[in-house]
Amino acid sequence: MKNELNIRSIMSKDTLPVTGGEQAVYALVDIKAGTGTSLGTMAANIALVLDRSGSMDGEKMDNLKEAVGYVVDHLGDNDLVSVTIFDDQVETLIPSRPAKNRDEIKASLAKVIVRGGTQISDGLSAGLAEAKKGIAKDRVNRIVLLTDGQTWDDEDACLKLADEAGRLGVAITSIGLGNEWNEKLLLQIAERSRGNSHWIQNPIAILDAFRQEMEGMQSVAVTNVKLTGRMSPGVRPVKVFTTVPMISDVSGRTVSGTMVQADLGSLDGRKGQAVLIEARVPAHKAGAYRVGQIEIRYDVPSGGLSGQTVKADLTVTFADDSAAAAKVNAEVMNLVEKVTAFKLQTQALTEADAGHIVAATQKFQAAATVLLNLGEDDLADAVEHEIAALKRTGSLTAAGTKKLEYGTRKLTQVMTTSIGK
Amino acid sequence: MKCTECQMENIEGALFCEECGAQLEVKNELQETATESRGERLVLASPDGSTLDIPAKEEVVIGREDPISEVFPDLDLTGLGGMEQGVSRKHAVIHRSGADYTVEDMGSTNGTYVNRKKVQPNVPQAIKPGDEIRFGKLAFSFKAA
Repeated sequence: MKNELNIRSIMSKDTLPVTGGEQAVYALVDIKAGTGTSLGTMAANIALVLDRSGSMDGEKMDNLKEAVGYVVDHLGDNDLVSVTIFDDQVETLIPSRPAKNRDEIKASLAKVIVRGGTQISDGLSAGLAEAKKGIAKDRVNRIVLLTDGQTWDDEDACLKLADEAGRLGVAITSIGLGNEWNEKLLLQIAERSRGNSHWIQNPIAILDAFRQEMEGMQSVAVTNVKLTGRMSPGVRPVKVFTTVPMISDVSGRTVSGTMVQADLGSLDGRKGQAVLIEARVPAHKAGAYRVGQIEIRYDVPSGGLSGQTVKADLTVTFADDSAAAAKVNAEVMNLVEKVTAFKLQTQALTEADAGHIVAATQKFQAAATVLLNLGEDDLADAVEHEIAALKRTGSLTAAGTKKLEYGTRKLTQVMTTSIGK
Repeated sequence: MKCTECQMENIEGALFCEECGAQLEVKNELQETATESRGERLVLASPDGSTLDIPAKEEVVIGREDPISEVFPDLDLTGLGGMEQGVSRKHAVIHRSGADYTVEDMGSTNGTYVNRKKVQPNVPQAIKPGDEIRFGKLAFSFKAA
């Protein structure tokens, strides 16, 4: 095996009881960039798609210009960059070009004034067109979309563009600023393109989001990562979640019969990727049992490597040993608990959207309990706040919804805020 | 497998209730009952397999070392990601009295948990080998070495 990737496959239980019936098992496939091997760095192809609508006036636009300046300053001379600005009209301010003329790019940006409404799809379409000019297998191809407003009647067009970007290997990082934008749309844009999404409450945090994005891009060395899970006859994969950069239910597009096929895109060299597969295994007599096999296929462009593969078996032992069968792997347990919190809040939001107050409240209360068990007191408080709002007004708050949508998806990320004590 | 919280029937092997999210399998590796420990060396074991020896003294302060604030805990969790995982500089103290142990949260920002229940700050709580102790988001098994 080569050292570009370290793969760990961990089952929720090493030992399953002999029950005579079907059982649930969870497999965690943890993928990290290998250590001890210099993989080199990849050039970037980044398209910035930025909202210049009237509501971006003042502090928001000032901070945005500063953040774009940071990006330009930290790109290499061979990296490609474009800047598209949009309101209800779109302008390609900087067509795709090498980032070496930094002062020229910043001077163009300095002249931008705010105006008009918000039409995200036009901006995204123009930005994708710029990204396409520089698409290459040996580049990290990415769009960074920032908006502070609701788009008008073009959500479907946005999602089609996100699908196209995903197919082309251009991940979209969507950033929502403030509270007046559609979090479901921005999250779907990110998920469909295998990108990331951030919620920024204070404009001063724009720079930090752009900095994180740059660091993530510059850590990529392994691309085109594809997971294939071939389960043994009778084993049924039922749910698949990716957990980096956020928890995402990808079951619908990855599970087919006994197969799991997940396109994981580029690997963030700092965070890696962890995939959780929930499956049902059939009854089996005592003895070793192979649940399935995982194959990871990937490219390392800087090393001229393409279609590399690593395999790992998913195995358990069936035994009449109740003590052994009661042992659960703590790492898998913790991840399943986080995914459970995410699922409960998603169900609660769906019920709330449908006007089912009682059902939404029950799911929120269940989510709050799980979050407290996870030590996520702040998020649990946010859930309680939304329960109170739901009872009082029949609807959720814009900020609270965003906090829950983003907070539970990012339970797998370590805290980045400094600790006061 | 019936959920004791909501009575929902879940498939054998499920870890959390599909309906209410309650934990179905209480026992995991961190909560595994350890061997009788009286007189034995005790450690904090993290899920990744690393262990921290608990010094043989009556009070063992757990936290993050910070020379600027002159905080030097007996067990420094910085190297285990304490900062990112929400461990305070002076987070908790383990008291030993003969073969009995307690853990006391020192008013930490992100709390101390024993077997997934948050402990009251500044109130010692008895712990025994096999218990899961979590400082912020950093979990350990308290067990015999």
